[in-house]
Amino acid sequence: MSEHIVSSYDEQLDLINSTLIKMGGLVETQLHNSLVALGDKDTAFAEEIIRDDNKIDALEKEIDALTYKVIAMRQPLANDLRTVLSALSIANDLERMGDHATNIAKRVANVKINMPDTPVSEIVNMGENVQSMIKNVLDAFVQKSDKLAITAWDLDVNIDELYLSIYRDLLKTMAEDPDTITGCSHLLSIAKNIERIGDYVQNIAEDIHFITTGDALERKSEKRIKWEKV
Amino acid sequence: MKSIKIKADNLNVYYGEKQALFEVSMYMEEKQVTALIGPSGCGKSTFIRCLNRMNDVIDICKVQGKIEIDGNDIYAPDMQVEQLRERVGMVFQKPNPFPKSIFENVAYGPRIHGIAEHKSDLEEIVVTSLKKAALFDEVKDRLSDSGTSLSGGQQQRLCIARAISVNPDIILMDEPCSALDPIATARIEELMGDLKTEYTIIIVTHSMQQAARVSSRTGFFHLGKLVEVDKTEAIFSNPSDQRTQDYITGRFG
Repeated sequence: MSEHIVSSYDEQLDLINSTLIKMGGLVETQLHNSLVALGDKDTAFAEEIIRDDNKIDALEKEIDALTYKVIAMRQPLANDLRTVLSALSIANDLERMGDHATNIAKRVANVKINMPDTPVSEIVNMGENVQSMIKNVLDAFVQKSDKLAITAWDLDVNIDELYLSIYRDLLKTMAEDPDTITGCSHLLSIAKNIERIGDYVQNIAEDIHFITTGDALERKSEKRIKWEKV
Repeated sequence: MKSIKIKADNLNVYYGEKQALFEVSMYMEEKQVTALIGPSGCGKSTFIRCLNRMNDVIDICKVQGKIEIDGNDIYAPDMQVEQLRERVGMVFQKPNPFPKSIFENVAYGPRIHGIAEHKSDLEEIVVTSLKKAALFDEVKDRLSDSGTSLSGGQQQRLCIARAISVNPDIILMDEPCSALDPIATARIEELMGDLKTEYTIIIVTHSMQQAARVSSRTGFFHLGKLVEVDKTEAIFSNPSDQRTQDYITGRFG
C-alpha cells in the first residue's frame, strides 16, 4: 500500500492499526492465561487474569476514539474507509473475545467449584486450537491477507466439532455421576465461551476480507455439525 | 437504466502537437448529475468544453471522434453551434456576471437568442430563471442593482439563472463551487438536486466529497485518459482501478 501525500494521515491510520494488533495480542494472552489457570486450577492466577480484562476494554475505547477522529478529520474513502469502519468492528469483536476469555477465569476463580479432570484437558486442548486461530487471524490482519483470513475462518469448523464432542462427554459424565453436575455445568459454559471466541475470529476474518476486497465474505463451512445426533 | 443524453465515442483532442485527451468514451445519463474528477491537467475540463464546442474558439485545438447529444453528432458539418450552446449551458469556476443589472444578466440570453417576443415574456423568463436558481427571493426587490454587487454564492446562482434562461437541456459546471464558502456551496449543491429534475448536469470538481454528494455517476480522468467511470457509490467505496483508489484516498504521487 503506497503512502498518503499527507503523512499525518498515515500516522493516524498506523496508530489505529498498531492499537488493534496490540489489543489482539492481549486477547490472545488473556485466553492463553485462562487456559493455564483452568488446567492448573490456579484460582489466584485466575483472579489476576480477571483484572487484566480492563486493559482490553481500555484499548477498545482508544480505538473508538481514534477512528472517530480520523472520520471527522479526514473523511476517508474507498480502502481507507473500509479499514477505519472495520477497525471499529474488529475492536468490538476483540472486546467480546476478551470477555469470553475472562469468563473462563471467573469460573476457575470460584474455589467452590470442583471440576472433573478428563473433560478439563479436552477443553484446554480446544482452547489452544482457538488460540492459534486468533494468532492466524491477527497475522492475516497484519499482512492484510485475504488468503490467511480465509484460512483462519475455515479453522472454526474444527472448533465446532471439538465443542460437540466435549458437550457429549460432559453429558455422559453427568449422567453417570450426578455429583459432577455442578462442575460439568461450569465446564459446559467454559467450552461455550471458547466456542464463541472462534465465532468472533470468523467475524474478524470477514472484516479482513472486506478491507482487502470491498466485498462481504460469502462462505459456508464444508462440514456442518450434526447436533441432532447428540 | 436512465436514457443516455450525451455519448462520447473515442474522443481524441489535441492542442497543436500536444494530445490532451486519449480515446475517451463515456455516456452521460439524462436528468442525472455526472461528476468528472481528476488532478489538474488531466483533461476533464477539456472534455466538458468539447460538449458545447467551447474548444472551437481555440485555433490550435483539434477534436477527433464523436460526441452525440440525443443521438445527433454535435461535430457534424451542419450543426449550428449557436443552437448547440443554447441547449448546453455552462457555469464557470469563478462567477462571471456581466457588469449589468441582475435583470439584464438573465435577460441577455433570451434576448439575443430571440426567445422572448414581448417585454412581459422576458420578465417572466427572468423571474422563472431566478426562481429555479433559488435566487429570486434574495434579489426580487433589487433587480436593477448590478449583478456584481451580489455575494460570490449569489453571483454563481445568478450565472446558473443566466445559463437556464435560454432553456437548455444540459448544464456544464466547471468547478462551480471552488470560489465559494461551504454554505454557498451547500446552496449550489441543493440547487443541483432540484435542477436535475429538468436538466442533465455535468460537473467538474476537485472536491471528492462534492462529487460523492451530488452525482450518480463519476468519471476519473488521469493524464488525458478516462481511467474509470462507474456509479458514484462504487467509485468512492470500492473503485476498480488502483489509480482511482490512489487519487481519491490522497495517495497520488
